[in-house]
Amino acid sequence: MREKSTTLYLGPQHPGITGNMMVKLQLEGDTIVKATTHVGYLHRAFEKLIERRNWMQTTTILCRFCVPEPDPPEAAFALAVEQIEGREVPERGKYLRSLVLELARLQSFMLWYAGQSGSTGLYTVGQWSVGDRNYVLDLFEELTGGRIYHMYIWPGGVRRDIPEGFEDKVLRTMDYIEKRIDDYDRMMFDSAIFQKRAQGVGIITKEKAMEWGVVGAPLRGCGIGHDVRKDNPYDAYDKLDFEMGIFEGGDVWARARVRQFEIRQTISMIRQLIQNLPSGDYLNKMPNPMKWTIPAGSAYGKVESVRGEFGFHVVSDGSDKPRRVHARGPAYVHGVSLLEDVLIGQNLADVSFIMNSLGVCPPEIER
Amino acid sequence: METSLIKEELLAQQLQNAFENIVTEAVRKDTVFAYASKEQVSSILLYAKEKLGYKSLAHMSCIDWLESDEFELVYIIWSPETKLNLFVKTRIDRQNPEMENMDMIWRQLNTYQREIREMFGVEFPGFVGEKEFILEDWEDAPPMRRDFDTLEYVNDTFFEREGREDKQDVRERIAKRSGEEIPDFAKKYSRE
Amino acid sequence: MSFFDLKGIVRPLIGLSQFGKNPHTKRLDVLGKDTADRYRGFHYNDLEACIGCGNCSTICMNGAIDMVELAAEFNISQAKGNSGLRPRVDYGRCCWCALCVDVCPTGSLNLTKEYNYVSPDPNTFLWTPGVDNPYGKDQLSFVSTKETSLMTFDRVPMRELDGTERVKSFAEVVLGYNEEEARAEASRCISCGLCTEVCPDHMHIPEYINAIARGNDQDALRIIYDNNPLPEMCGKVCTRRCEDVCAIAVRGEAVAIRWLKRYATEQAQTADLIQEIVNPEIKEANGYKVGIIGAGPSGLTAAYYLALRGFDVTVFEAKQFAGGMTMYGIPKYRLPMDSLNKQVSYLQKIGVKIKFNTRVGKEISFDEIYKNHDAVFIGIGFEKPWKLGIPGEDLENAIPAVEYLRMINDGESYDVGKKVVVIGGGNVAIDGARVAARHDADVTILYRRRVEDMPADWEEIEGAEDEHVHIHPQAIPIRIIADKSGKKVKAIEYLEAEMIAEEGGRPRPVPIEGSETIMEVDTVIGAIGQEADYSFLTEEYADKIEVNRGRIVTNAQQQTSDAKVFAGGDAVNKTADAISAIADGFRAVKSIEAFLMKK
Repeated sequence: MREKSTTLYLGPQHPGITGNMMVKLQLEGDTIVKATTHVGYLHRAFEKLIERRNWMQTTTILCRFCVPEPDPPEAAFALAVEQIEGREVPERGKYLRSLVLELARLQSFMLWYAGQSGSTGLYTVGQWSVGDRNYVLDLFEELTGGRIYHMYIWPGGVRRDIPEGFEDKVLRTMDYIEKRIDDYDRMMFDSAIFQKRAQGVGIITKEKAMEWGVVGAPLRGCGIGHDVRKDNPYDAYDKLDFEMGIFEGGDVWARARVRQFEIRQTISMIRQLIQNLPSGDYLNKMPNPMKWTIPAGSAYGKVESVRGEFGFHVVSDGSDKPRRVHARGPAYVHGVSLLEDVLIGQNLADVSFIMNSLGVCPPEIER
Repeated sequence: METSLIKEELLAQQLQNAFENIVTEAVRKDTVFAYASKEQVSSILLYAKEKLGYKSLAHMSCIDWLESDEFELVYIIWSPETKLNLFVKTRIDRQNPEMENMDMIWRQLNTYQREIREMFGVEFPGFVGEKEFILEDWEDAPPMRRDFDTLEYVNDTFFEREGREDKQDVRERIAKRSGEEIPDFAKKYSRE
Repeated sequence: MSFFDLKGIVRPLIGLSQFGKNPHTKRLDVLGKDTADRYRGFHYNDLEACIGCGNCSTICMNGAIDMVELAAEFNISQAKGNSGLRPRVDYGRCCWCALCVDVCPTGSLNLTKEYNYVSPDPNTFLWTPGVDNPYGKDQLSFVSTKETSLMTFDRVPMRELDGTERVKSFAEVVLGYNEEEARAEASRCISCGLCTEVCPDHMHIPEYINAIARGNDQDALRIIYDNNPLPEMCGKVCTRRCEDVCAIAVRGEAVAIRWLKRYATEQAQTADLIQEIVNPEIKEANGYKVGIIGAGPSGLTAAYYLALRGFDVTVFEAKQFAGGMTMYGIPKYRLPMDSLNKQVSYLQKIGVKIKFNTRVGKEISFDEIYKNHDAVFIGIGFEKPWKLGIPGEDLENAIPAVEYLRMINDGESYDVGKKVVVIGGGNVAIDGARVAARHDADVTILYRRRVEDMPADWEEIEGAEDEHVHIHPQAIPIRIIADKSGKKVKAIEYLEAEMIAEEGGRPRPVPIEGSETIMEVDTVIGAIGQEADYSFLTEEYADKIEVNRGRIVTNAQQQTSDAKVFAGGDAVNKTADAISAIADGFRAVKSIEAFLMKK
């Protein structure tokens, strides 16, 4: 007997992603034969709005490109502007930037723990990690004044120096979180259910990874070791001792193992940054923001976020406003055409699981 | 920041040797620009990918140069060996914007081309991506074109919440208070 | 499965065994979270420290901040240098990026720790920080400091000749900004425009500075010439009260408005170039003739703008060169002669006719001017010095500063000897002292009050000190002692003074008894003030044109009691500086035009 074909609209609200996005699934039984993504629920036309904003005003709009990780966009934009302008960043500024970026990665990893385990029904880990993530957000609050949107990284450095006693607080928090992630691992990675759900699901082959422009953890989960922090080191990353997590397999499990490895690297890097924090200026101040012009030119600034390479193509025509700021988030390549391809042949129940593992983040696809 | 650009110069030279009529420039560390005509772009990209190892496409972007009536298309590719970013730039006619479909070389171009088609109205003959990407039931001009006025659109579409009509402009108020007459030709330098 | 399965019904009743037990979850007290010291919550604005520059409103990328007028009960200052407006935040739009805090030049706008506000009324989303949350003062968190502010509080330093170098000659002391310096300095301006109100002439300061910042110096010059025909002179020696109210000056050094104007004017090295750049529109001749007495700043201003409006203008100047006090009263190391002559010859190119060496009342009578012109503008200035009023003032080698300066500027020589005393604390006194220092004299300034009370520019005072001029404050001269011949000055006697606080006024110097000191000097230069010389007004006109306490009385449009006669400059206004004179001239143009064209 032929199985009946069903069309299912999954989303726009569903647990696989942070944001709103809909996937139209063509099902036979519960096997997917065709998937079509529909984005546009979160289009806020930031790139268009930037046409009317000056360079300074642009820096505060960028963090909203990506809710779970607002710092990589700020940093990528800052790097691009610095390249065009030739603006140097003081050493301390570089370290503080890396510190913020790593803290951002840390909290994003913890959010990923919640999403990845939650989409298999393992809610306990999610409750734990989101609860503990608040301690990282507390650090952000102390450092930048905001918990989610920090608006902290500026071309030329960072916005404020660290407050008194901040280093100790960071180290204490790291000690706590390091202990906690062992608990998460016991609960999640050691769980037979999670292993069974993750292994052999959502496979991306090595060849496909290059052809489709896969980046970040999904790429390293295919056994290909590329990381912007290693390849084109920015800020203080050339002075840090860390390793990439490279795992073979290309499935959700391999990607999870990459992240499991890298969250520990991140904690170690935060410790290194705090211990080696140089003294001096934290910002090479830009002129009066209302009259700040950038020489004509273009640049591509990129940083490594938890989900992969986050890049900004910035074009200046020499005026006080950017000509074009074009963001390229990892989800842009993972979340649309790649997702449509990977989902074919998978189970309906694994859709949100796979989306989470690829790091699909609609706000940065549509901006 | 004066560092030698040996790797960058080498790449620029390699491209220059392989293609006539293109302009290459080793701009700064890790960055090389290549300006080419629209027809040359696909062969440059293929050459860079197959012969020079620029396997990864990082980005494709479109910039509207309204003043010269052109769109600029930029392909940014990256090599895992040299770790350089190569920008391949081309300018196309803004009135009849068309570009070669290249989503066979790099599959993620599918997404980029969909966005550029929707936001700038650039056509890619032979490209079969879904027509609608981010916008829904959009019938106006492609919105990322610079002649699409956001403010005008917003004023037409939305209304301001009441209670803010009493706002004043500081410069105007001062000028009025002191009887200063700002000549028209100077007003473009006033505060926005 | 049988229909009546007893087990299947009874066993789930185990759930009832929990009935009446305490719940596993229990309600805990709600603990408010104490936010971080840097938390970005609601705004708080110190209404008194705020000057209403509106920079917060400009930077706000969400358009959330409006500048509004508050109710009278808040007593918002409407003084010059304060727009009287205060920011109001639309919290429906604010994103708490705190850029407004980081660009606030005064540091009055800060964010507080408060982040929780619930109201059933949706129309309470508009807050005027400081008015709606007066308690915010004690909750400040994300604050503006000089270190973190995005404003540049330090001025680009002006290059100057070294103090020991400059006493050797009359070379210009201030060297002027180069292009890079000017762009950097211009970009410090926040374009609020508070300065324009203080400028007597209401020059379009934010506009021309912005033009310089954007690299368009020619536009800057055009904007400057819109209401000031002697900008290069102003760029060098203006009293620049605009800089006193600069928003940046609240916490830092004011934008160097004067030096920027100087920079904009210096690109035009010749009168031809000025004409080429400014390229003003000259209206067709309208047939009216206007006579102007005195080619000082007010007279030249009136002449230039009248000429542009198509009037036939003739200026009558007593001396050999135009410029009035700016030519004869200001030493050449501050304002070189070439610079002034260049500006004047541009005015002549536009069609201003100047008759030099024509003193009204001597070479030509006032009556003749009055009868031959449709309107007359008097811009005679103050050239008669006040007497010191102490014995020995009429001795040789006791000379008024204006006279001394005129002689030196005219190329005449005057030997001041080795030891010079200058009496007074204004710019003229400092000028006299610095000129004497350039003739190898050892110069002392005697001033009645303290140094901080001196009306002279602080830059001038500093300049004098650099040139080893000694300033002796709180010294009141009582007599000048003659030498044996009884003709020449030998010494000066003065009293030390102490400052007595005066109610409702500035402290008053009171001589200390028995503190008489005698200082041997070669020359005494007096600089305690000047007045106008009205001897050219014959009786007939002296009756018509009202003069009160040495000043010609005019209405707000510079018109005197004789409808056909207008006046401006030092002889009319009380501020007695060049820019006020220019403002008078500019105002007079409008009223002369209105007066004649209406007829």
